[in-house]
Amino acid sequence: MSSPTLTRRGLLAAATGLAVLPFARRPALAATPVSLQLSWLHSVQFAGSYLAQKNGWWQDAGLDVSLLQGGPNAPVEPPVVSGTALVGISAADYTAAAVAQGANFKIIGVAMQKNPFAIASLADNPVATPADLEGRKIGMALANTPVLQALCTLNDVDFDAIQIVPTQYSAQPLVSGEVDCLLCWETDLPVAMAINGIDARTMLMADHGYAVHSQTYIATEESLRDHRAELVALMSGEARGWDAYRGDTDAAAELTVQMFPDAGLDLPTQKLQAERQVPLMFSDLTDQHGFGWFSDDSVQANIETLALLGREVTPQLWDRSILEEVHG
Amino acid sequence: MMRAVAVGPPLLGGGVLILGWVALAAALQGGHLVAGPAEVAGWITTNPGLIGRALGATLANAALGFLAGNLVAVALAAVAMIWPRLLNLVSGLALVVFCLPLIATGPILRVLMGPGDGPQIVLAALAVYYTTLIPLLTGLRATPAVWLDLVHSYGRGRWSELIHVRARAALPYLFAGLQIAAPAAFLGAMVGEFTGAERGMGVLTIRFMRALDVPALWAIAALAAAVSMAVYAAIGALARAVLHDRPPVILAPPRVMGGSRPERVMQPILLVAVVLVLWWGAMALPGMNPFFAKSPLDVMAALTTAPQAAATRDTLWTALAETAVFLLPGYLAGLILGAGLAVALVIVPNLSALVMPIAVALRSVPIVTTAPLIVLFLGRGALGTISLVAVMVFFPTLVACLHGLRQAPGQILDVFHTYAAGRLRQMAHVRLPAMLPALFAAARMSVPAAILAVTVVEWLTTGRGLGSLMALSASVSDYNMLWAAVVVVTTISAVCYAGVAAVERRILSIYAPEQVRR
Repeated sequence: MSSPTLTRRGLLAAATGLAVLPFARRPALAATPVSLQLSWLHSVQFAGSYLAQKNGWWQDAGLDVSLLQGGPNAPVEPPVVSGTALVGISAADYTAAAVAQGANFKIIGVAMQKNPFAIASLADNPVATPADLEGRKIGMALANTPVLQALCTLNDVDFDAIQIVPTQYSAQPLVSGEVDCLLCWETDLPVAMAINGIDARTMLMADHGYAVHSQTYIATEESLRDHRAELVALMSGEARGWDAYRGDTDAAAELTVQMFPDAGLDLPTQKLQAERQVPLMFSDLTDQHGFGWFSDDSVQANIETLALLGREVTPQLWDRSILEEVHG
Repeated sequence: MMRAVAVGPPLLGGGVLILGWVALAAALQGGHLVAGPAEVAGWITTNPGLIGRALGATLANAALGFLAGNLVAVALAAVAMIWPRLLNLVSGLALVVFCLPLIATGPILRVLMGPGDGPQIVLAALAVYYTTLIPLLTGLRATPAVWLDLVHSYGRGRWSELIHVRARAALPYLFAGLQIAAPAAFLGAMVGEFTGAERGMGVLTIRFMRALDVPALWAIAALAAAVSMAVYAAIGALARAVLHDRPPVILAPPRVMGGSRPERVMQPILLVAVVLVLWWGAMALPGMNPFFAKSPLDVMAALTTAPQAAATRDTLWTALAETAVFLLPGYLAGLILGAGLAVALVIVPNLSALVMPIAVALRSVPIVTTAPLIVLFLGRGALGTISLVAVMVFFPTLVACLHGLRQAPGQILDVFHTYAAGRLRQMAHVRLPAMLPALFAAARMSVPAAILAVTVVEWLTTGRGLGSLMALSASVSDYNMLWAAVVVVTTISAVCYAGVAAVERRILSIYAPEQVRR
């Protein structure tokens, strides 16, 4: 297998390549291979990236982007630190933690302007405001206890009056009545319940003062210094992709399902998730400045919420220079 | 000795299993917990392509891991037999590597091996090699001394000893190891997919759990169980086809226990030194950034001289205490259940057609599918966690003990038959003593298995203890804490292992002295 063999397909490809070469727009520039480390399994959560790839917007900018899938045991930070991935998709709280441990990350863009954490409950026993949490049983990963504490502090709710039940990440404990509510993402378990015909309510934590940028793009300081062109090309592809996503979320969902036939994706679920993501990702701020933007005010709000989570950060964690070039 | 295998009982066992499944699904209807066989079959027939490709991907990785892991085990066992001085070092290193929690190794394998199937295959191999190595080492020593004397009298050395005598004696134990490995390889490959694999049964499990797609989740569980049962049965059939000789009477001269005092002190020190050097070397590999690849010195500093060292130690102790509460009861319950069930199956052989499919199913169904059920029946408290640990421990014990009970020497059983001694009497005087080496092998290999089981349960369901601490540390990039937790897990495993081995030496020097000879 290691020796080059002549095959019909290989010859055809070579011939096509030779025929196309003189007419290619950038004959001398081979596409630079870079990787984007996603934070979770393939789904419409990253559909903007799929659109950028499918439409060749990265290819046009001279980039050959590999999208690396995440998973429950696939933290984003190691591949970005080690250079396997040029950019990773993280969240401000995880990035702050990694920086406290010595990583030199910068947040170079924010896909989710509003944090997707929500409290989900059933319609006949709803949690509509943070005050409703008192006296209720909440199912969540114990690791997220600081998140709930921060929400309580922000809204003067008695944290000790909430009973935490450590559950796995599934809607089943809520549906079966084991707990009154769940700490989960707005865009996954509530969507699953809706598709299963379960009438659920959600209370978005971002609407109650919990300001933590999510689905943030992170890169190392070295990359910002040595690979600016690639970063700008990658982020402008993302911006184009996500603008197209906003234009037609159903088409984005269809593309996602079609691109990943082995991922077990369900089209109605993906369409609903795509729709529910829009208000989290686009705001007056992004309308004015472009996809991924963050203002000094939103950074300040993040710093205050992160302090409640026990993370002391400075505005230097954020670096807008790439976005300024993309949207400039 | 060999019973003709009737087709009836296995079919009956499968039937009972499916009937129980139907009843469970009917009883819990609407709870989004269990999908019945009809629903599962329906889901599979509407999604044949999706599930077929996923099964193909996971099965291929599991098979490669199974092959690689078992070959490594055989090679290590051979090395330990030819150079007996290396035995303690080899088994010690094997233990340490087996103890490495996949929460720590998964992301590192992904960084080192990049996208693709590498980490899944390695994790499947890591899940099986140890449970093959330990029975194999026991089997290689299960030889009558006279046979070895015969080899020596022809002037031959350890190599001939290994090929002509020990390898054959080890065959029954090897088959036990392979049967234990079958479900473990499949589960290892599935969990390996959590590190960012593109496709496979593990990827689908996560997806369907979040989507509350219960029929799909149970379809995966049913297929995982079916594959494991088929491989288990195939290895069993192979064993029956190959093993015709009746087990020999193993007489070995009792020997005064173990080496000189300096040697006994030196061996653990040597092991620790080798582990530290290997750890250091691994962290210096290209691509291992010091951000997540911590060396022994980093961990030492984090635990002693760093500003938050006291807090780090407190966190570790608290997590350790939470884990220990479940560990010992789960371990003991699993051992007793496994050995007890093995004895029951030999006394009432027809039971095995009913019990074995359930036992294999319990071991091979992913914990994320069964955890909600166990929580429903036993709660989220200690009982649920202990039961999950016991389920993970009891299967290797059951299989090892079943094979051990079959090692009862034929001639001695003949004597009992002559006197028309009943099954119970045979059990007490012949089979149980013959089972002891296998039981202790199971007890030893179950030490790290139980610790791994409890950390996985903590990671995926309860959110307490060392397992949860490791997952949390990885998610907030506290890699010093993660590696410190790995050291704690490994140290506990090694210490408990040494404890079990000490008890074993005491008892086996009376019942199976060939096992404690060097």
